[in-house]
Parts: sequence; structure tokens; C-alpha cells
Amino acid sequence: MQPTQGKIRFSTALLSVMLVSSMALTACGSSNDNANNSNTANTANNASGNTANTGADNGTDAAANDGSTNTAVPAEKVTVEFWANKFEATTDAWFKKWVDAFNKSQDQVEVKLQIVPGDAWAQKLKAAQAADKAPDFYTMNYGGIANAAKLAQIQPLNDLIDGAKFDDLYDNIKDFVSVGDKYYAYPMLVEPSAVLYYRKDLYEAAGLDPEKPPATWDELIENGKKLTQKGIFGLATGQTAPDLGWSSWGLQYGAAGHLALTDDWSKADIMNDGYRAVVNFYADAFKSGIMPKQALSGYPDIAPFGQGKVAQAINGSWAIGQLRNDFKNLVDKVGVAPMPTQTGDPSATTATLGGWTLVVDGKSKHPKEAATFIGYLLGGEADVMIDFFKTSQFSKFSPRKSVDEAMKSDPAASQDAWRALIAEKVIPFSKAEPIYPWDVSIAVSTAIESAMKGTDPEKALQKAEKDINDFIAKSKLAGTNPKAAQ
Amino acid sequence: MFKKNYRQDNGVAYLLLAPIVILLTIFVVIPFFYSLKVSFYNWSFYQPSVFVGFDNFKFVLEDDLFLNSVWVGIKFTLMVVPASMVVSFLFANVIKGMRRGSASFVKTSIYIPTIISGIVASVIFVFIYDYMGGLANYVLGWFGSEPRAWLADVKTALPSIAVPAIWLGFGLTTLIMLAGLHDIPESYYEAADLEGAGPWQKMLYITVPLMKNIVLYLTVTGFTGAISQYELSLVMTGGGPLDTTTTPNLYILNHFRNDVMVGNSIAASLLLFVVLGSISAIIFKVLNSEKAIDG
Repeated sequence: MQPTQGKIRFSTALLSVMLVSSMALTACGSSNDNANNSNTANTANNASGNTANTGADNGTDAAANDGSTNTAVPAEKVTVEFWANKFEATTDAWFKKWVDAFNKSQDQVEVKLQIVPGDAWAQKLKAAQAADKAPDFYTMNYGGIANAAKLAQIQPLNDLIDGAKFDDLYDNIKDFVSVGDKYYAYPMLVEPSAVLYYRKDLYEAAGLDPEKPPATWDELIENGKKLTQKGIFGLATGQTAPDLGWSSWGLQYGAAGHLALTDDWSKADIMNDGYRAVVNFYADAFKSGIMPKQALSGYPDIAPFGQGKVAQAINGSWAIGQLRNDFKNLVDKVGVAPMPTQTGDPSATTATLGGWTLVVDGKSKHPKEAATFIGYLLGGEADVMIDFFKTSQFSKFSPRKSVDEAMKSDPAASQDAWRALIAEKVIPFSKAEPIYPWDVSIAVSTAIESAMKGTDPEKALQKAEKDINDFIAKSKLAGTNPKAAQ
Repeated sequence: MFKKNYRQDNGVAYLLLAPIVILLTIFVVIPFFYSLKVSFYNWSFYQPSVFVGFDNFKFVLEDDLFLNSVWVGIKFTLMVVPASMVVSFLFANVIKGMRRGSASFVKTSIYIPTIISGIVASVIFVFIYDYMGGLANYVLGWFGSEPRAWLADVKTALPSIAVPAIWLGFGLTTLIMLAGLHDIPESYYEAADLEGAGPWQKMLYITVPLMKNIVLYLTVTGFTGAISQYELSLVMTGGGPLDTTTTPNLYILNHFRNDVMVGNSIAASLLLFVVLGSISAIIFKVLNSEKAIDG
């Protein structure tokens, strides 16, 4: 007897050891595996946690209705999940404010808002989609719409949102959100990706005319040289491949007259003087010593300029909001001008128009309700959107005619000189962001970055051309441009 | 009697094995075979998946960036593993010679980086490497040197990321080394003293050979740990400049985030698994593990 007991005691001990070790093992497994697994698990948990909650809500409602399980109950609120990218704090607050207002205004639909940080967005959404827990509607930028529509990831909105709301859009914006004869998204704003910000006081100190911003790339670099001193750099712009990938589109357009692919997406179109000029501009600017060797911030963040470490910065129109909200003392000294062009021709493109929209997920179970809210928020009363443009300090622009009309009677908006300058001198010459896959853009920007770091520009471009053509062949991209296919 | 006991043992054994077998099945075996299947498809969440045969694998193998990322991973490992071995070996020897109280103080202090997450470490080191006002450039400034763009320069980016990796790992490695050192019977050293051996000879003929299994273990775990590192480059450089810090797992993560179809990143994971497995096998082969003489 004795030994058996001993054995059992030993075995229970062993059992617990094994349990613990197996847990440790699985834990190791997930952390070792890679980012996806552990993060996926987390986000999947989050997502399912949320839906479990909403499910429970519905469940109790249904139970209250004598156990009859679902849909036919008229008074039951439909819950739709809404994921918004994390933007400026003012935008996040605006989303929350109007979601609450909408939820209070009626008893049919309950919108649940979740704000997701940008760097977690792609992973979180992928994981939710894989687990069939994607939100009903979410933010998407213009560049993603055509491809998402092609893959049925988002639904057409023609039957979900009143056609008059689409008629209110500017014609070029209509094109941004439609594929074929269908609208796949409702736009929220447009913003040009490149505007020049410069310090008037430093211009004067360096003997430059603060009312005469540079018109050509050469002038920009020359001014930069005069402005560079200890602790202050002459120029800040995108300088890593991921930032350059999108911030240089406007310059590519302006110098070459087109972007990196032929219209039918069958091959790269970058071995020309326009593209050579763009690559050389960045390489010259970097090598002239007026830019920091390491970017002081990511392209969309103008904080180093606001902190006085930079005398000229190229940034999107959104930087106006950041300057006015975070660096109030500096605003008087800041000059705003269109981004210089290669030749000084003010009508050449230097910026692309990007911006955000709301889309309804392809698998959403309540597309009608989701679209109702989108129509309310983005396409409804002009007040809602004016509130948004006000909180963003007029650094973004309306895709809707009626909102612009209403804003004319708003004194703050009508007297804003920066807003007027961008509306008159930047936006009319801006082009839409490209919709081709990111791999193409990053190949071009990798060429730019390698030229900045010393590779021969011609060789860098040749490599980019080869990479793009390889990518086209491998992913069978030729002839798949959804915009050209019509 | 014997037979009965025998049967009972079997039952208990299966019972004991059950939890780990079930957990391994759920978390390792099933996902592995599922991913094997998915790697042959264009896997989309919104449309029916399409069977594409070996296309995903071909896609990955023909991608210069993937091969580059494996090479980056190997270079990174070659910086991290030997360096952390040497540093921990030195630390372990120093600690072994210390008095009890101070030894435990040092042990605790060097273990602290181990419990700091990779993300926090990355953020700390981003500040250290900051171009304007970072500690590293501040120290360089004492010697009148120009500030360096540690993380943005093609030459220094990868070594700059290897430093926090070593810092994160060496506490644990040191403790394991120390345990190994304590395991070597003192009598060996006493005998060597009698024979008139100096410190170098003792180290070369007693310590190093008896640490072989520890070194083997640390090499294999260090290798897999270092080559699957991705948080450091994700946070500190985002894989740049010019992909010089894109490790294999960061490559996979980027594809998972950006690609419309998922097959590509899964194929890359499986290929990485093959690479890791074969290199580990080579290490085992070269550094044959043997039972210590002392047992």
C-alpha cells in the first residue's frame, strides 16, 4: 500500500508540474511564434469580447420578450459596431460627441464606437475579419476603396444612402468614392498632402523676404542653406521610405505628369526625367545638410517645426490644426505657402488629395442601420460637419457643396487666410491619391531613400523599375486597374 | 501484482500526458496543419479561397526582401548571441567570486532588463539614440564628435538594435551560466591548484569544457530568440533604413498587415520555420551535446 500512495502523491505533484510547464510551453509558443499570433489572439479576444457584450444585450432584450429569439421584435435596438482610426484628439472627441447625439436622438439603432490607434489598425482589423467579427462600418482612406470594393470587402452604398446626399458631393470627389457606377464610401474630408510652412522671423534674420516664399525646389534648398544654423535645420520633410511612399506622390505627379504605373497597370513608368528630378530633389536636399540625418518626427507630425527646431517644413494641411492647437505662440511667425514646384510653375501638382471616408463592411449584418448613421454623420445637417472643420481649425476641407456654402456664413471660416490660400492655390491643382498597391509606392520611395543615402539615382530608379515590374508579374496586376476597367 | 501495478501506471501516465497533449494539439498541431493547408490558397475573408498550389511559396522565395530579411536575421543573431555569451560568462564568473550579499544584489539588478518588455526597452533606446539630445550623441559630444543618426544610417542601424537585444537577454543568460558554474565541483579546481594550474588553465581545461551543455542550450535558444526578434526593429526603425533591420518576423508581420490575401505571410512563416529548424539542427550537430562526466 505504502508505495502506491507514495506513487500517487508523486503523480499528483508531477501532474501539477506538467500542467504548469505545459502552460508555460504554450505561452512561449505564442510569444515565440511571431507578432501575428499573440496580437491576433489579443485582438480577437477584444473583438469577441465586445460582440459577446452586445450579444448579451440582445439576449437579455430577447429574453424580456418572452424568449422569442430575434428579429421580428420591433422595439429592439440594433447595435452596430463602428471602428474609427485614432486621429487628432479633437477628431476623436468629435466622433464621440456625435455618436452619443445620434444614439440619444432615436431608439432604433445603437452605434458602438471604438477608436483604434493607427499602428494597430491593420492587424486588428485583419484579425477581426479572420474571426468573422469585423465591425459593421469603419474609416477608410480614399486609396483603399477601389481595391476593397473589388474584393467585396465593402458594400455599395447606392441602395443604403439617399442619392441626394451623393449629389451634394463635388464632382471630383464623387470619383474618389465610386467604382464603376456604384458608390462604395461616403467621404468625410479631403486634405492636400503637401504644403510649405516656414518661419517668417527666421527668414528675416537670414536676410530673406518673409513675404516671398520659395517657388522652385532649388530656391527651397537655397533658402534652407541660409536658414540652417546650430540647433535649427533648414528643411524637414519625409525622409524614410514609408513616409516618402505617400508624401512624394504630389511631386511625382507635378514633375512627371503621371504616377509610377502606366494606366493599365501593366508596367512601371518611372524611367523618365520627371522621376529623375524628384529623386534628385530629395537627394540634393538631404546631401546639402539642411535636413537632419535622422528625421526628427514622422512626416505627418509637425512638432519639431512647432518646437523651433526646423525653419521650413513640408507637411500636409492637417499641420495647421496641430500648430494652432499645440503651438499657439508660434502661429504669428508662421508663413504658409504652396509646396514649391520643380520649375516654379504654380499650377503644377505638388500635393495629392487624401482623406477619410466611412465604409460598410461586406459582411455587416446591419448595413442599413450602419448606413443610416453614416448618412446622419457625414451627409446630414451641415452643422455636424462644420463642427468638425471648426475643431480641426479649418485644416481639412469639405467634400460637400452644401457644407462649404453654410461655412461661408461662418465668420471664423470665411476670414481664415490659411484656409483660403489652400483652397485657392493648392487644392485646385492637387490630384487624387493613387489606388495601386502600396508595394509600387514603396518601391519608388525606396529608390528615393537609397539615392539620399548615396546610391546613384539612376541605379536606384532602375532597381525600383525592376521591383515594380516583378511585383506586377507576380501578383498578376496588369489590366486590373478598377478605374481603367470601366 | 506486478502486472496490476503496470496497468495502473499506464493509466496514470496517460492521464498525466493528457493536458499537455491536448494543449499542444490545440495550440500547435492543429494550427500547424491548418496553416499548411492555407498556404496553398489565396485566402481571403470575403471571397471563396482559391487553390493556387505552390504559388505563395514561389512568391516568397522569389522575393528579394524575404531572403534579405533572413540574412538580416542571421547577421543580427551573429551580433547578439556571441556578444551576450561573452558578457554573461564574464558576469557569471564575477558574481561567482562575490560574497553572498553583494552577489544577490548584482543578480537582481542584472535580471531587471529581462522582465522589461521588448517594447519598453525599444522606447528607452529610441530616446538614447535620439538624433538631437539623445544620450548616445550627448556622450559623443564630449569628444567633440558630430551627432550620429544611429537608427537612420544604413551602417549603424542593425548594431544599434542589437545592443538592446543583448541588454534584454543577458540577465537570464548570466543566471543560467552561473548555475552551470556552481554545478562544477569545487574539488576539480582544488585538484588543479595542487597541480599548480593558473587561472587561465583552470578556465580553459575545467570551466569551458564542463560548460559545454550550457553553452549549447544557450546558443540554440539564443539563436531562435534573436532571429525571431521583431519588436525592437518594429518600434525603433520600422525595418528601415532601406530594410536593413527588417527581420524575418517583421517581414511576415508587414505582409500580414498590408497584403490583401493572407497566403503569402503564412507561406513565409512556414519557410522561416524550415530555416530555423535547419539552422538549429546544424548547431546541435556541431556542438554535440554530451552527458557531463560528473553526471
